[in-house]
Amino acid sequence: MTKVNVNGKEVDVEMINEEYEKVKDLLNRDPNITELGMFDVMWSEHCSYKSSRPKLKLFEDAEENYDYVLAGPGQDAGVIDIGDGYALAFRIESHNHPSAIEPYHGAATGIGGIIRDILCMGVRPIALLDPLRFGRLKDNSHSQWLFKYVVKGIADYGNCTGIPTIGGEVEFDDSFENNCLVNVACIGLGTIDDFKHAPSRAYNPGDYVILMGGSTGRDGIHGVTFASRTLTEMSEADRPAVQIGDPFTKKMIIESTLEAIKTGYVRGLKDLGGGGLTCATSELTGDGNTGADVDLRKVFTREPGMNSYEIMLSESQERMAFIVKPEGLGTVLDVFKKYEMAFAVIGRTNDSKVLKVFDNENLVVNIPSKALSESPTFRREEKRPDYLDHLLSQQTPILTLGLDEIIYKLIASENICSKEWVYRQYDHEVGVRSVVKCGEGDSGVLRIIGTDKFISASVGVNSKHCFLDPYQGAKGGLVEVCGNVIANGAKPMAMVNCCNFGNPEIPESFWYFSKAVDGMNDFCRKLRIPIVGGNVSFYNEDEVTKTAIKATPEIMIVGIIKGKENIITLPFKNSGDDIFLIGETKAELGGSEYHSVIYDIEGGTPPAVNEDKIEITWDFLFELYNRNLVNANHDVNKGGLVITIAEMCLKNKLGVILDFSDCYEKELRDDEFLFSESVGRFIIETNPKDRDLIFDLAAKFKINIKRIGILSENPEITISGLKSKQLKLDIDKMKQLYDSTIPSLMET
Amino acid sequence: MNFKIAVIQFPAANCDLDAIHVLNDVINVKADLVWHNHFKESKYDGVILPGGFAFGDYLRAGIIAAHSPAIDEAKIMLKDGRPVIGICNGFQILTEAQFLPGALLRNESLKFVCKWVNLKVENNKTACTNKMNEGDVLAIPIAHGEGRYYTDNLEELEKNNQIVFRYSTEQGDLTKNANPNGSLDNIAGVCNLEQNCIGLMPHPERASEAILSPKRTEHGKLFFESIVEFITRRLS
Repeated sequence: MTKVNVNGKEVDVEMINEEYEKVKDLLNRDPNITELGMFDVMWSEHCSYKSSRPKLKLFEDAEENYDYVLAGPGQDAGVIDIGDGYALAFRIESHNHPSAIEPYHGAATGIGGIIRDILCMGVRPIALLDPLRFGRLKDNSHSQWLFKYVVKGIADYGNCTGIPTIGGEVEFDDSFENNCLVNVACIGLGTIDDFKHAPSRAYNPGDYVILMGGSTGRDGIHGVTFASRTLTEMSEADRPAVQIGDPFTKKMIIESTLEAIKTGYVRGLKDLGGGGLTCATSELTGDGNTGADVDLRKVFTREPGMNSYEIMLSESQERMAFIVKPEGLGTVLDVFKKYEMAFAVIGRTNDSKVLKVFDNENLVVNIPSKALSESPTFRREEKRPDYLDHLLSQQTPILTLGLDEIIYKLIASENICSKEWVYRQYDHEVGVRSVVKCGEGDSGVLRIIGTDKFISASVGVNSKHCFLDPYQGAKGGLVEVCGNVIANGAKPMAMVNCCNFGNPEIPESFWYFSKAVDGMNDFCRKLRIPIVGGNVSFYNEDEVTKTAIKATPEIMIVGIIKGKENIITLPFKNSGDDIFLIGETKAELGGSEYHSVIYDIEGGTPPAVNEDKIEITWDFLFELYNRNLVNANHDVNKGGLVITIAEMCLKNKLGVILDFSDCYEKELRDDEFLFSESVGRFIIETNPKDRDLIFDLAAKFKINIKRIGILSENPEITISGLKSKQLKLDIDKMKQLYDSTIPSLMET
Repeated sequence: MNFKIAVIQFPAANCDLDAIHVLNDVINVKADLVWHNHFKESKYDGVILPGGFAFGDYLRAGIIAAHSPAIDEAKIMLKDGRPVIGICNGFQILTEAQFLPGALLRNESLKFVCKWVNLKVENNKTACTNKMNEGDVLAIPIAHGEGRYYTDNLEELEKNNQIVFRYSTEQGDLTKNANPNGSLDNIAGVCNLEQNCIGLMPHPERASEAILSPKRTEHGKLFFESIVEFITRRLS
């Protein structure tokens, strides 16, 4: 907090003195209280990316480098051209701080915000995905409370708006106990014309500025500055900074906005999210190189007596700003009237390049349109944490349990067990597009009605791996999430990310961010995956327990599948089929579920990524797909090899006879082979008649592939060829453990 | 034959476009999406109240929509025997409007539930089941938070053959486990005495194309084809 003097009164602002001086320079005078509030909000970390922007320059060139990228970083959402005249928009962002304080409305308004981001690209939102992170559930009523109400907030909001929630992930780890992570992602589909119709700019002088949707209230004032601070015990008092969602109004905003765009009279569009009217009016005019006169008393408020400061800074939900051609004003307003949406013509654009806001006759804001986006940036220091050397050298303790007991414990563990309790509460089928549904594949697959193309989308990253090595962990996240869409038969098309980190002013925290960005950048350039958007959430630290969250550079990938015959799903299908392991298993138990669940340790050597090997693995899989050789596919993920195979058995209750003789290097121990989380591996099911062909192709691609077993009717997994004795695992027992963990923790 | 079906777009109906898709693109009949305040019964041979959250389900699911002018129009259709069909939220609206007996309460689990279930056909004489056989078991998904059917007059419903669908196992057994929401007597759908008005909680529009169905069935199609058959017979 900084104290500054406004008209003889001392006021507290979030900005530092250096920033306040810059405000004065930009205005050539002292700001008044409303202007100061506007700068304070727009220059918060949340809106200005002042700590991350220097680093994120790495991501800026997607539009130049890929001809199918229509909108890249810096826009409300990334947009790609997927052929047949269709544009696909997608974005992921965080709603961590509000959800940690008020899980139900925090999560719900997170969904509301991400839907608006997609909508303001001019396309229909068609799917949601939600990566969530909480403290461990067992014996922790606070974590259970957050988990229950975050899921309910997402369900109530998403279900009502008619947008299916088709995927997500949930991780439980102590570091998220008080600062849970609620990331929200949305996908939108429309024609390229729809997208081009509604840029987020007011580039034409003389157009009307219309505010449509919910009323402006005193809720959410300074929500973004709250999100740009570390949570403390005092944060409970910030609960009024959490907005309240209204999914019914949101649904009406979606339909009326899409119908308004179809009239052809909308020239610009912007949602009111963080920073409210301040952000919308300044970005529309600033990016459009225009100015505007806005009359605050036209804004419909929820209660009388709101002053200019409150109206400009309110973050009340469910509002959109439209820039409308003068000749189309009546037509557009008729659309809003049909849907019985509240609206107000609050101003007009002009060529002054100045944003002027009037409160009746009084000029209360008079600032150059671009000034609010000219926040200073800060080069933050980075330093590798000292504790890492100790963690990385941690050894796996001596085995005290049988391998079979360990496998049963792993499959029942919170991070591996079924998340059906979550996705049953989400309407994941509304819209009649969901082809591969929750629990049937590594990604969600949606059809594009009227074509033979399919969208595959997945989110994820492994926070435990990133904690030990953010550079390799971010790359590993990309391997995993790309692997998820590839496992379903899709070619990865583009990536967006949501960076969840600690306080950037602490060098060790900033180091995690910096290394993760480097990892994402290096991997995506090498594998030619455009990065089309991102969101940064800093200050995810909990001052009460003095812990930072584990670094979480959440990754979202969208891919395209051409032809329904090329969709692959996860469950094993035919008894007698071959099972192959593709990719190399190394002694990489650092940050594994095995270490965490069995020994409660976090260290060890985490997985590292070899991009060349990843690339040929993917090429090899697509060669198999082209020849229709794959009956099921699942990427090897948390828990390792046997857990992955078990997950494939559960749906159809098939068993597997596994023989690991000659499958792994002699220096590996059994537990290393079975539970390593080395990335870039897949388990595939194929027909035995194709066995020779598959080996021939593997030799041609120089790929590491092993035939490890055969499917059987008998519902058990038998494992021979280990250094220790043969193992036998019962599928029914595994299924019971897999299914019951979360219900037993949440339903008692 | 020349006929037309209306799908009513209540504010925040959200399965409206899905129903239109199946009618127009899957079974190739003419259907219009009609904004609730604009609906005029005289132009249509049948009406579908789609799933969703009309008026946000605020106050109580279906209660506000039951007072829409569209319901007055639909009442005229109800009286003269044209099909009036409610799916999910549409069923809730039809009970609130008292076109159909009973009420839909919060699920026993107190949670929204989205899953595929099995439905046993109990009456194949109605406007949306005439292409089915009694005892057929259909695979169709549900997605609702308030779908627990309740009535004080179970015996009367049974006597009048007003129970159209029940939740069952794949084999057609009416077990407690097969009942996803605690509905009385596993009831999933009911009709009026004249059998031209039917409400059901499951979503046949989500089960009308093999690509969307876990077992590649198209059982939902029979539902819409029955409506077409009913209208065709009525008009000929």
